[in-house]
Amino acid sequence: MVNFAVLAREHWMHILVPMGFVIGWYLDKQQDKKLTAFRNKSALYSRELKPGEEVTWK
Amino acid sequence: MLKILIPTTMLILATWLTPPKWLWPSSLLNSLLIALTSLLWLKNASETGWTFLNPYLATDPLSTPLLILSCWLLPLMILASQNHTSHEPINRQRMYITLLASLQFFLILAFSATEMIMFYVMFEATLIPTLILITRWGNQAERLNAGTYFLFYTLAGSLPLLIALLLLQNSNGSLSLLMLPHLGQLELTSYADKIWWAGCILAFLVKMPLYGVHLWLPKAHVEAPIAGSMVLAAVLLKLGGYGMMRILVTLDPLTKELSYPFIVLALWGVIMTGSICMRQTDLKSLIAYSSVSHMGLVVGGILIQTPWGFTGALILMIAHGLTSSALFCLANTSYERTHSRTMLLARGMQMILPLMAAWWFIASLANLALPPLPNLMGELMIITSLFNWSPWTIGLTGLGTLITAGYSLYMFLMTQRGPAPSHLLALEPSHTREHLLIALHLLPLILIITKPELIWGWTA
Amino acid sequence: MNPYITASLLFGLLLGTTITTTSTHWLIAWMGLEINTLAIIPLMAQQHHPRAIEATTKYFLTQAAAAATLLLAATTNAWMTGQWELQQATHPVPTTMITIALALKIGLAPLHTWLPEVMQGLDLTTGLILATWQKIAPFSLLLQIQPNNQTLLILLAILSMLVGGWGGLNQTQVRKILAYSSIAHLGWMVIILQFSPTLAVMTLALYIIMTSSTFLAFMMNKTTTIGTLTISWAKTPIISSLMPLILLSLGGLPPLTGFMPKWLILQELTKQDLGMTATLAALSALLSLYFYLRLSYAMTLTISPNNLTGTLPWRTQTNKKTLPTAILLSSSILLLPLTPEVLTLFNT
Repeated sequence: MVNFAVLAREHWMHILVPMGFVIGWYLDKQQDKKLTAFRNKSALYSRELKPGEEVTWK
Repeated sequence: MLKILIPTTMLILATWLTPPKWLWPSSLLNSLLIALTSLLWLKNASETGWTFLNPYLATDPLSTPLLILSCWLLPLMILASQNHTSHEPINRQRMYITLLASLQFFLILAFSATEMIMFYVMFEATLIPTLILITRWGNQAERLNAGTYFLFYTLAGSLPLLIALLLLQNSNGSLSLLMLPHLGQLELTSYADKIWWAGCILAFLVKMPLYGVHLWLPKAHVEAPIAGSMVLAAVLLKLGGYGMMRILVTLDPLTKELSYPFIVLALWGVIMTGSICMRQTDLKSLIAYSSVSHMGLVVGGILIQTPWGFTGALILMIAHGLTSSALFCLANTSYERTHSRTMLLARGMQMILPLMAAWWFIASLANLALPPLPNLMGELMIITSLFNWSPWTIGLTGLGTLITAGYSLYMFLMTQRGPAPSHLLALEPSHTREHLLIALHLLPLILIITKPELIWGWTA
Repeated sequence: MNPYITASLLFGLLLGTTITTTSTHWLIAWMGLEINTLAIIPLMAQQHHPRAIEATTKYFLTQAAAAATLLLAATTNAWMTGQWELQQATHPVPTTMITIALALKIGLAPLHTWLPEVMQGLDLTTGLILATWQKIAPFSLLLQIQPNNQTLLILLAILSMLVGGWGGLNQTQVRKILAYSSIAHLGWMVIILQFSPTLAVMTLALYIIMTSSTFLAFMMNKTTTIGTLTISWAKTPIISSLMPLILLSLGGLPPLTGFMPKWLILQELTKQDLGMTATLAALSALLSLYFYLRLSYAMTLTISPNNLTGTLPWRTQTNKKTLPTAILLSSSILLLPLTPEVLTLFNT
């Protein structure tokens, strides 16, 4: 029987890096959303939407 | 970007929290995870070339291969350092890994910065961990001298760069890398502008290093511990080439006439440093000088400013990064066994460590640019574009290639072939760790030729 | 020394600087400077060994000379313009005299020669006061008079940077090295005085932070020579492993705090079309960097043979207050990413 308490105490720090990846991925996604919204609104990049295409800012 | 940066900082944290028993395996595994994640950057779907944008960081086809190379190097450095730091107290081992990870952090920021000052700050920031690596973990007393050389050569070159960048910002209004190519040409006519040109380019030429300002490199390489040599040869030198490719767009009308002496010096350096390699007795020094010689070709390829030149330079930088790092690892395996860098004292290793000899063989062939390795592709592209620029260069580049082949052969024959001397008969057998280390260097090198557009840069 | 006396002397220091920085009258400003000088002199001489007495005498003589010159210049100014107002020093002759007197007071090259000698005779605490607090009052005057002679200030500044760099190169005494580092840093402050007083004040503040953390770290180890620095790793392992960063920060290497003032000053200089001056200033930082690097080699990057057995520290506990040291240490390493905030702080 694996003792989970001991396992957690000794190995909890191994999840730090994957956790960092998840946090970074989330923050990147937020940033992308922000930039995409900007691109859709800007005069330089705005274009006619194809039929059925959704705007990304709302 | 943060996908990689936050895990890297977490890696530093994890290094200090992991129990001593798991320190090396866990940091190796974590850094390998980061390296694998960094392959995500290869997906480049944007029209402008810039992807993974955030306000300060982005990647484009030029920086992606270098970014991935610097991420790939961290697990390899950790793998390589495991043996020689094992007798140190645990906190110093943690400190060592922390330094390596922080170096990766700064390198990622440097390669992905979208602003020249940010790039400059990170370019300089890599100095501190490297300096500490060299002077704290080097082996001989000369390491202090090497550290001083390393720091002062780089800084003396790059402080004028800071001034030049600030001047550019004053006249241009922006130092954003996304903007620089589109801002149009500057009026560069006066004498002061020529000095400004030199200020912009000199820091990178010192970092490359160009023949003539290369003296810091062999010293630093010889004195640094294995991880220091690896990262220095594989990534830090490439900061110079990368920076030069970035800044050249703004220097446009002047480079055409002012780059002559530097191209001449670079090509002359290929021959000179190659010849120095031919009579070198010190294994690490030989590899260091061979780096200078390869970087000479890269400088030539960049300075003539043709698409083929840039592509060849980038390919050669990546290929050379992996090759020279592999060679340093091999040199370190023999150093850890014989405790000497002198080639004369470590001959005939083929008889003792035959599998290592196979690795030596492949790495030497990569160094002398054998087909089908990407080294050849890079060198060929540079030589072709240089030939197109001026047919006379074929004399220098051709001779340089010949000499490269010569000293690679010399290095291989000296260390591997011949009868094993009697004082070497009781060597430790090679570890799986070392084989894995070399394999992780050479496999990407061999595989990358099957899809070279990954490291083609802008022309892809 | 009797704690009451120490307290009243420290109060005198505080008072002198406050009077000078807040006054608008030359006579009062001069008085503040004198109070300041008189208050620090007993502190300097509190250890009765000949070096301390010598240092005190030297300090007294130079400061008295500087103050006398200042008084003369202020009187001349009053005589010429009929004003004792601090900001009304408009005539070039008194302004130049004041600038030179203040340069002598804070130790700008070529009037710097007293500073290393005095610093060498003091203990580290008084040295810290001399290198930081004592600069504030004269510097505030220098900020207010706005000398209209640019060349003089730039000349003094560049000379200070170079002399501060060259002078420290062959020193083995930590206090002397820090004195030369102070001269070089003052050069950076003075070079920008004309163009952006805000930046000069910011540089002074950051210099005070970095120098204080250096002094505090040395005080913890009780070291005054490079030789004794080498065993500090056994006494205070964490501080001595952070020490290279602090020293390189003093040297102005990115990404540490010390790069911030240098960067902003160079930016301002290039904006003023002083590219060559900026280059010279930047390259002179290399000279100082060399001795900072030497200190960090001795302190951290080499481990000298120690007669202690084992690697355990032999004093695990220190009864000194470590919180200010910790705050100063971390702010002298980590402030660069906060550059915009720091600038706003000083711009108001």
